[in-house]
Amino acid sequence: MGAVPILSGQNPEMHGKDVCLKGVSITYPNGFTAVKPTDLTIRAGEFFSILGPSGCGKTTILRAVSGFVEPSAGKVLIGGEDQRGIGPNGRPTALIFQNLALFPLMPVWENVAFGLEARGISRKERRARAHDLLELVALPDQAEKMPGELSGGQRQRVAIARALAVEPAVLLLDEPLSALDLKLRQHMRTELRAIQQKTGVTFIYITHDQGEALTMSDRIAVMNDGVIEQVGTADEIYSDPQSAFAASFVGEVNMFRGRITAIEDAMARIETPHGVLHGRHNGALTCGDDAILFVRPEQMRFGPDAGANRFSVTLERRSLEGAFLTFETRTQTGARIVIHQTNTGLASHPVDQTLQVSFAPETAVVLPDGPVASTGSEMAAQ
Amino acid sequence: MSELLRGYGRGLVALFFAAVVAWSLLLIILPQLTMLERAVTAPKRQLDSSIAFQLQRDAQTCVSVLETHLAAQDAPDAADQGGMAVPSMSGMAIPSASVMTNQATGADAPVRPYILQCDRATTRLRMVRGADEPPVWLNELHDLPLLAVTDTAPITDQMATAQEIAALAEELAKEIQQQEARAFPYTTSNFDALLAARAVPLSAEQRAQEDAKLSDKLLRLTGLRFDRDGQTHERIGLVTLSRTLVYAMAATALALVLCYPIAFKVALATPPERAVWLFLGLVIPYAIVELMRVYAWTTIIDNQGILNGFMQWAGLITEPVQFKRMPGTIFIVVVYTYVLFMVFPIYNVMSTLDRNQIDAARDLGASALRVHARIVIPHAKPGIAVGCIATFMLAAGAFSVPRIISRGLQSEWFSQTIYNKFFESENSNVGAAYSFTYTLVCFLIVGLFMWAMRTRLKDFARVQ
Repeated sequence: MGAVPILSGQNPEMHGKDVCLKGVSITYPNGFTAVKPTDLTIRAGEFFSILGPSGCGKTTILRAVSGFVEPSAGKVLIGGEDQRGIGPNGRPTALIFQNLALFPLMPVWENVAFGLEARGISRKERRARAHDLLELVALPDQAEKMPGELSGGQRQRVAIARALAVEPAVLLLDEPLSALDLKLRQHMRTELRAIQQKTGVTFIYITHDQGEALTMSDRIAVMNDGVIEQVGTADEIYSDPQSAFAASFVGEVNMFRGRITAIEDAMARIETPHGVLHGRHNGALTCGDDAILFVRPEQMRFGPDAGANRFSVTLERRSLEGAFLTFETRTQTGARIVIHQTNTGLASHPVDQTLQVSFAPETAVVLPDGPVASTGSEMAAQ
Repeated sequence: MSELLRGYGRGLVALFFAAVVAWSLLLIILPQLTMLERAVTAPKRQLDSSIAFQLQRDAQTCVSVLETHLAAQDAPDAADQGGMAVPSMSGMAIPSASVMTNQATGADAPVRPYILQCDRATTRLRMVRGADEPPVWLNELHDLPLLAVTDTAPITDQMATAQEIAALAEELAKEIQQQEARAFPYTTSNFDALLAARAVPLSAEQRAQEDAKLSDKLLRLTGLRFDRDGQTHERIGLVTLSRTLVYAMAATALALVLCYPIAFKVALATPPERAVWLFLGLVIPYAIVELMRVYAWTTIIDNQGILNGFMQWAGLITEPVQFKRMPGTIFIVVVYTYVLFMVFPIYNVMSTLDRNQIDAARDLGASALRVHARIVIPHAKPGIAVGCIATFMLAAGAFSVPRIISRGLQSEWFSQTIYNKFFESENSNVGAAYSFTYTLVCFLIVGLFMWAMRTRLKDFARVQ
């Protein structure tokens, strides 16, 4: 798959609208509350991701915006207009399904033009518009094929073209890349982003893959258990998490549970079973609170030179991830510490079994104790 | 083929193919061929040779009966002592009216008792020909002298005539048989009965009444009913055939209209855990034998049945409504009896539709109608085709329903006509002609339907 000339071709007349959830909560008839009262504003023309583990309620929010689910309380506004009572076929949104849900019995161009057909546009014009859109997604020669004859990436683009055909103000994407293999997925991220910037449509992108969320989005909402934990840019979410869940779900992190023993300006001292540690805090903590200190693996340094936070660890495993190296270590008190180091190709990394590691207090974040994301081994055990 | 062999082994594959061949040969091709052969063979007793042969036998019987009669007259005592004046039961018959009047006038009094065979022993016999053709007589056809055993002639003369007739008939029968053996053995005459028009005896009032009906106008428009010599004629066989087909098609259409929303509701619009109950509700009535279900309807529609009882109780009617005389009743019971054969194929194929496709179509702005027209129906088409074909064929061949519901109080369905031709009028050749025609017509209708639905046989594999 070569470079796709997304920015060529005709530019459809589209413009995004903002989406606003006001006190929206959604309870299913069986009593399960998928979304707890939520306020959320998504700006017009932005690429917004909702990131969370499966079952956290992110798809339910999407379905509430698209109109398949009526909120039990609160309201959904699109472009400032209350959407209550308007069905999915009446809203200025288009949804791309996880399995794409292309119509298998229609050729590609009819798939793309389906929304136009529903709007009573003549067959000739539908064909022309479908052709333009297929050009936009770099599939100009596939119009007469059936969806079953296309590859995964091509089907993906047909789904995007089909959704864009109705000129939605808001495009909703429900983990559309999850069925693709890694290379294609990475490529489609760039394409999606490019299409979003070219069309100016508001994208709401649902994913459980933090890589997708971090690379594509203008802003991200981290969601867990029906609650939006944090909304911010990728940088904010990654380096300045606001909750224990957000810190643990996005990116890899080393965690130390303990109790606050001192607050000094922006710094907090936390007493953990593995020793006393220091880190930044966001002001919500007082002495005696249960808290967790989070530090990213790439902030860990070998050697005792980084100051207050230091451990003596034994190396359990060293593995090469390509661009960086991962060291899995354990302290004498039993804490597991993961360290990332850039793979410079030089033998700058240690080979000894017993090491000194440390991290600077300003690179660590102390947050109130709360639920954290399951680790891989926990998920596998479930 | 090699894949089959590898997957199931030689023994199983051979068995499978043997079963398929046996099935198609023994149960489909052979019976239809036999039926066709029978349908194009003239009924034996209608053959000219059979008539000549029958004449010979009648004449011979006549001779022997007359001989016995003569003997009895010569020795009346012997006859009184229990001797048999008449050799067989068939020889004894009630004297015909003409004989009675002759006796009453006294002139030309018959000299022998009435003997059926003697009356039948005449060379002026009518041959069996098509209904529209002018009559053909045996003596004219084969240049025979006009001979008959007249009961006023002296008995010996009668015997001589009868013997002469018997000899002529025997010779003629042999000759015709040889001719017939040389002639082409097949004929389409059995099908004539299906097309033949019969005069319908109607009074002027009845005719005016009938003519006002829509069905009558339709019949006249299609040429199935017409006037000739001031008499209303109707092609009864064809009328029954087309009426049955119209009912079967209407029943199929109604079943489809009923089943499509049900199948959609159960398969796609209900959460699976609740669909189980709906499904159960559909199946339970069909755990009862078909005949019992039809009989159950009689308790509903009878003059003293549930429906009439209820309407009388509610004061809607004073006289019971004769439901069993209404064609609509049969129609409704047919739909009820076969509706499930429509539901299940449609349900099966619908349940394989990805609900996301419906959501996607709605999300793209499609109305409910368009979702059905463009997404659900195209997907369910093979199921709809299978359901329609099954229901149509069952309704077209329905026998128990019209028979039990109407109890002979309505014009019959074609399936009943075929039954009657086979077993009531004991003319299996005409029955075979009817049955073969019906098979062919139904086959054509199904083929046309599949062509119109643009379904190919391979699509049907998707249904299950």
